[in-house]
Amino acid sequence: MPRPGFVLDVDERTPPLLVNQGEGFRMQKFPLGTKVIYPPDALPGVKDAHGEIRRALLHPLGDSKPLPELLFSGMKLTIAIDDISIPLPPMRTPDIRQRILEHVIEMAARAGVEDVELIVATALHRRMTAREIRRMVGERVFRSFWPDRLSNFDAEDRDALTDFGTTDKGEEVEISKRAAESDLIVYVNINLVAMDGGHKSVAVGLAGYRSLRHHHNVHTMLHSTSYMDPREGRSAINDSVNRMGRKLSDDGVKVFQIETTLNSDTFPSNMGFLNKREWEWSMADQGLMMAAKKMNDVAPPRARRDFFRRIEAPYKVTGVNAGEVEAVHARTLENLHRQQLVEVQGQSDIAIFGIPYLGPYNVNSILNPILVHCLGLGYLFNMYRNKPIVKQGGVAILYHPVPWEFNQIHHPSYIDFFEEVLAETTDPKTIETKFEERYATDPWYIHLYRTSHAYHGVHPFYMWYWGAHGRDHVGDVIFVGGEPKSVARLGYRRADSLRDAIEMAKDTVGSTPSITYFHAPPIMIADVR
Amino acid sequence: MTTLSLQYFRSVPRYVGARTIGAKAPGLIAGPLAPLRLATLKDLELPTDRPGWARVKPQLAGICGSDLATIAGRTSFYFSPLVSLPFVPGHEVVGELLDDCEDLPAGTRVVLSSVLACAARGEDPPCDNCASGRTGRCDRVTIGHLKPGLQTGFCQETGGGWSRALLAHRSQLFAVPESMPPSAAVLVEPFACAIHAALRARIEPGASVLLVGAGTVGILTLIAVKLFTQAGRVTVAAKHQKQRAAATMAGADEVVRPEHVTKAVRRDARAVKLTPERGPEFLLGGADVAIECTGSRRGLDAALRTTKAGGRVVLSGIPEGGADLTPVWFRELELVGAYTAGGVDSFPDGTTTVERPTFEVAVETAATLPILERLVGATYPLDRWREAIDHAMAAGKLGTFKVAFAPQE
Amino acid sequence: MGARDELREMASGFRWGRRPMVPRSAEPYVEEADDEGFPTDWARTKAGTFARQMILNGVMDPLHRSQIALRVYGVDALDDVEGPVIFYSNHSSHLDATLIMCSMPDRWQRTTAVGAARDYFFDVWWRQAFTALVYGGFAIDRAKGGTGAIDKARELVLDGWSLVVFPEGTRSPDGHMQRFRHGAARLALECGVGLAPVAIVGAYQAMPKGRLWPRPGRPPVTVRYGDVLYPQEGEPHQELSRRMQQAVAELFDEDRSTWFDAVGRAERGQTPSLAGPQGPSWVRTWEGTRPVPRRGKPRVWE
Repeated sequence: MPRPGFVLDVDERTPPLLVNQGEGFRMQKFPLGTKVIYPPDALPGVKDAHGEIRRALLHPLGDSKPLPELLFSGMKLTIAIDDISIPLPPMRTPDIRQRILEHVIEMAARAGVEDVELIVATALHRRMTAREIRRMVGERVFRSFWPDRLSNFDAEDRDALTDFGTTDKGEEVEISKRAAESDLIVYVNINLVAMDGGHKSVAVGLAGYRSLRHHHNVHTMLHSTSYMDPREGRSAINDSVNRMGRKLSDDGVKVFQIETTLNSDTFPSNMGFLNKREWEWSMADQGLMMAAKKMNDVAPPRARRDFFRRIEAPYKVTGVNAGEVEAVHARTLENLHRQQLVEVQGQSDIAIFGIPYLGPYNVNSILNPILVHCLGLGYLFNMYRNKPIVKQGGVAILYHPVPWEFNQIHHPSYIDFFEEVLAETTDPKTIETKFEERYATDPWYIHLYRTSHAYHGVHPFYMWYWGAHGRDHVGDVIFVGGEPKSVARLGYRRADSLRDAIEMAKDTVGSTPSITYFHAPPIMIADVR
Repeated sequence: MTTLSLQYFRSVPRYVGARTIGAKAPGLIAGPLAPLRLATLKDLELPTDRPGWARVKPQLAGICGSDLATIAGRTSFYFSPLVSLPFVPGHEVVGELLDDCEDLPAGTRVVLSSVLACAARGEDPPCDNCASGRTGRCDRVTIGHLKPGLQTGFCQETGGGWSRALLAHRSQLFAVPESMPPSAAVLVEPFACAIHAALRARIEPGASVLLVGAGTVGILTLIAVKLFTQAGRVTVAAKHQKQRAAATMAGADEVVRPEHVTKAVRRDARAVKLTPERGPEFLLGGADVAIECTGSRRGLDAALRTTKAGGRVVLSGIPEGGADLTPVWFRELELVGAYTAGGVDSFPDGTTTVERPTFEVAVETAATLPILERLVGATYPLDRWREAIDHAMAAGKLGTFKVAFAPQE
Repeated sequence: MGARDELREMASGFRWGRRPMVPRSAEPYVEEADDEGFPTDWARTKAGTFARQMILNGVMDPLHRSQIALRVYGVDALDDVEGPVIFYSNHSSHLDATLIMCSMPDRWQRTTAVGAARDYFFDVWWRQAFTALVYGGFAIDRAKGGTGAIDKARELVLDGWSLVVFPEGTRSPDGHMQRFRHGAARLALECGVGLAPVAIVGAYQAMPKGRLWPRPGRPPVTVRYGDVLYPQEGEPHQELSRRMQQAVAELFDEDRSTWFDAVGRAERGQTPSLAGPQGPSWVRTWEGTRPVPRRGKPRVWE
C-alpha cells in the first residue's frame, strides 16, 4: 500500500537525512524541531501499458472522436512530441513516447495516411541530437521518418511560422506553419510536473519568440504563484497560455492531445536507498549509501558526470489520457496530484532545498550557475499550491557546489549572460528591459540555435525570470558549500555548513526560526494550508 | 493454559559478559547478553488455600532503572537471596483484575504496590515494620507463603508486570479511577516512590534542595518536593535537553548541566570551592538537602560534595557503588536511603501531620497532574522486548522518559 | 567535515550496534512488516534447499540417531500421495521438527517448510537464519490470533510447498496432547490440501520441555506416519481438527498395541484419548513420563 507523503518532525530519534547537492549528496543532521516534507510512496503503474494506450486512443475524453476516426487517407497529419527536457531523469527505454508513437503511427498507416510529419516540440530549447531522438522515439519510428519527416522545431525559421493574430489580451499567437496547416495535430506529452501539458503543449512547444515573450517575462512570473498550480487566477503564465491555446482552437487548429503521467520511481534499484525514508534503511542500504558517497567524493569529475548522466529512471505509467485538450489535462492533473501532493500545515521562516544534478535544461550537459538558480529558486521553490513553504521575507538555504562551469555547445548565450549581464545587475526587471532584446535577436545565437545544439539566445533570461518570484518572495538566499565567486555573481550569499547558514539567516528571520526541509527528489507538490 | 511472559533467568556467562563488555558495547545488553527470554509459561494458578489473591492483566508495565541495572548485571549480589529465579520482572504496573479480590470486583483497574510484605506472605503476627505501617521495610520478604522476593517483579511465584498476567494480593492493590489514562497510571508506582523519597528527606521549610538527575525519577521527585514539602530553592542537575526542559516546566528554580552543578550550588550557598589533586571539586557548605536520583557513581559523588555540613543526602536510586564516602565522615552528613513506597508516610496536614498510605496519596495526586501521562515516551509489545530494553537504556539521549511494555498487544 | 566525523555522525544517528529507531512523527506511517522482518525465502531457493538437505541428512540425522534409538514407521503411506500436504504431529519436544524432517522421504524433504513460533525462533538474527536454513522455517505469529499467523503458510502451500505444523501451538508441558488450534485445519480447508498425521512417541520422555539435549542412554523414540486426511467439502474446521486429533490418537494406539487392534477400536470409537488423566499436574506429568518400551531385541548388558 503506497503511503501518503507527510511532514516529519525531527527529534532525537531521527538519523541524519539525505540532501542532494549537485552531482553528489550529503547526510545532514538537522536541528531538533525541523520539519521535513516527504513525498508519497510511488504508486503502482498500470499493469498493461499497451492496453492503457489503446484504451485512451479509442475512448477519448471531452469533445473528441476516437483517433482512428480522425485519421483519413489524404490528410495532413503532424505529430508533435515533448522534447528531452522530460522526464527527469530520462526514462528507461522504451520511453513511453515511443510506445504511444508506435500506436498512433500504426493507426495512421492503417487509415492510409501518407503525409505525416513528426516534430520535436522544442520551442526555444536546443535541438535534440539524432541519437537522443532515436532513444526517445525508438528504432522503428526513427528509421521510418528520420531525417525527412522527423525534425526538431525551428522557431527562428520565419517562413515556417503562421501568425494567428492576438488574443483578447493582446498576446501574439504564432506557431509552426506545418502544424497550423495540418488537418490534425497529435501531441504526445509526458506530464512530469503540473506546469506541463494542456494548452502549453502546442501553444508554447511549437511557438516562436514573438509569442513566448508574452508570458515568458518578469511580470507574468511574479504573478504566477505558483506556476505549478495551474488553477485559474493562480498562475498568470497558465492563464496566458490557455488564452493562446483557446484562440488556436477557435481558429480551427485541431489538436488530439495524448498525455501521460508517471509514478515517482525515480531511482534505479542500485540506488534504491534514495527511494526509501532514511530510518527505513537496512544495514545494506546504509552500506550502499556510504560506498556510493565515498566513490562519488573521490571520483574524478569526468567519471562522476558520466555516472550521473547515465542514470535512467524506472518510471512506471500511472495513466494515459487522450482527446480534447482541456478534458484530458484535467484528468492528467488528477493523476499527477494523486502521486505528488503532500499536505503541509503552515509556512516556516527558513526553507531548505537540496538541488539535484539534473534539471530540464542540462540533460547530457552541465548544470551551470544560472541553471542552479532556476532549479532552486524556480522549480523547487514553486512546487507548492496556495502558499510557498517559506514565509514572505524568509530565507532559502540551498545546497549545491555551484561550479563556474558552462557547456559551450549547449549554453553559449548563458556564458555571456553570466559574465556580462549578471556582472552589471541581478534584478530581473532591469535585465529584461536592458538586455533581453539584444540577446533574443543576436544573429550568432540564432545561428547556433538553428544549426548547432544550443539553447536560444534568450533562454538564460527565461531561466533568470523563472526564479524571479522566488527571489522576490524570500528575503535572503544562502548556498551551503557553493563556490564563492559564482554565488556572489548570482547575487547570493554562501556558508560552509548548515549551522553557519542558519546563523547567517538569523539576521533576517530572528533568533528562533522555524525550518522546513523539502526532501525532494522524488518530485512532489507541497499543498500548504 | 499458558501466559506469554518475559522471564529473567540465571545465566553466568551473560552476567559476566554484561559486566565486562556491557559498558563498551551497550547494544549487546539488549541483544545476546540479555538474560531474558520470551516464554509461554504455564498459567499462574490462584492459590486455593489462602484468600486475598487475584490475577491481574497488566495494561502497561514500566521499565525501571532498577530493572535495567539487573539486566545489565550491575546490581549487587546482596539482592541474590531476596529474589527467586527465574522471575518475570516488572513492578510498575497498571492493569485489570481478572478475579474478584475481596472488595474489588473483577474488571477494576488497579495499580500495584509491589512490595511482598507480611500481609501478602501470610505472616501473622506481622513483623514490627509492617505492624507500624512501614511495609517497605518488611523483614519477612523471603519467607512465608511465597518464595523469596522483595517485590512482585522479583518473585518466581507471583509473576511480574512484563507478562500477560500476574498474581497480586489485596494488600498490594489500589484502584485507580477510569478517567486516569493508563500512561499516567503506570507512573503511580514511581511517583509514590518519589513522594516517599521527598518525605524521607525531611526538608525543613525554606531549605535549599539539590536534585541530581532529571529522568523519570528526578522529575517525579521534583514534583513531589514541590507538592509535599516546603522547600526553598530547588536546583536540578540534568544531562539531556529534554530533561532540562521538563525540570523547568515542573517548577525547578534552577536547572543546570551536571558539569555545572558545583558552580551553581556554590553561587547559591555562597560557599568555598576546593579542588583536590584528583577527583571532582567539592564545597565547604552547600545545599541543605540533596536527593540523588540517578543511581550512578558520579551522581552520588556530586551530591556528597555539594551538600552542607550536617546536611542530608537521600539515595533515591539503587547506588552503583564506588563513590567516595569521605565527605560523609568529614562533613558529618546524614546518608538516607529511600527504597520504595510501601505502606504509610507522614504527610503534612495544616500544622500537623497525618499518616496515610503513600500509594493512596500518589493515586489522588496523579489524577491532578497532566504532565504525568506525557512522560511515557514509548510503549512496546512483549515480543519487541529487545527494542524496548535498548530504547530504555538510551532513554535520556533519545528524549524519552519512561518506556513501558503493553503486554496485551 | 572529516571522514571520521562523518562516520561518527552516521554511527550515532543510525544507532549502529543498537536497535534502529523510528522518529515519533513518522510512527503512524511505518509499514506493518509481516514477513519483511523475518525474510526466510532465501532458504527455500535451490541453493538453500541443497544446503538444508546436506545439514539434515549429513549432520542432524546421524546426530539424532546417536543420541536416541529412533524407529520410523508408516512412511509408505506417502507413496501415492501427490504434494503438497500439511504434516502435523503431537508436540512435546524440540526434537519433533527434526524428527519429521529427517524421517520423511527425500522428495518431500526437498519441498517442505516448518512453521516455527516467531517469538521464539525468530527473535534474533542468527536464530532466524538457523531456523530458516535447517528447517526451511517460516514465522508463525503465536500472539496474533485468527488468520494472521497463517498468511505466510498459505502463500507457501499455494506455491507447492508442504508444511510441518504443530497444531497444539506449543510443546506440551506434561507429555499429553493439548487442544489443537484450528489454523492448520482452516488452511487445509481453504487450499484443499491433505493433512498427513505423524505420531511422535517417546520424544517427551527423551527430551521434554526444559531440556536442550536428549537424556543419556539412547531413549527410544518412534515416529509413525499415517494415511493422509483430506478435508471434505463444507466440513467445519472444528470437525476437521477433531479428525486430525483422532488420527494421531489412532497412530499412538497402533504403536502401543497392533494395527489390527487399533483399527478395531477406532471403528468402535474406543481409541484411547491422548489428553491425559484428569487431576493435579503431578499425576499428569507422572503419566506423561512413563517410559516408552524399547523395541527390538533386548541388549545383553541391560
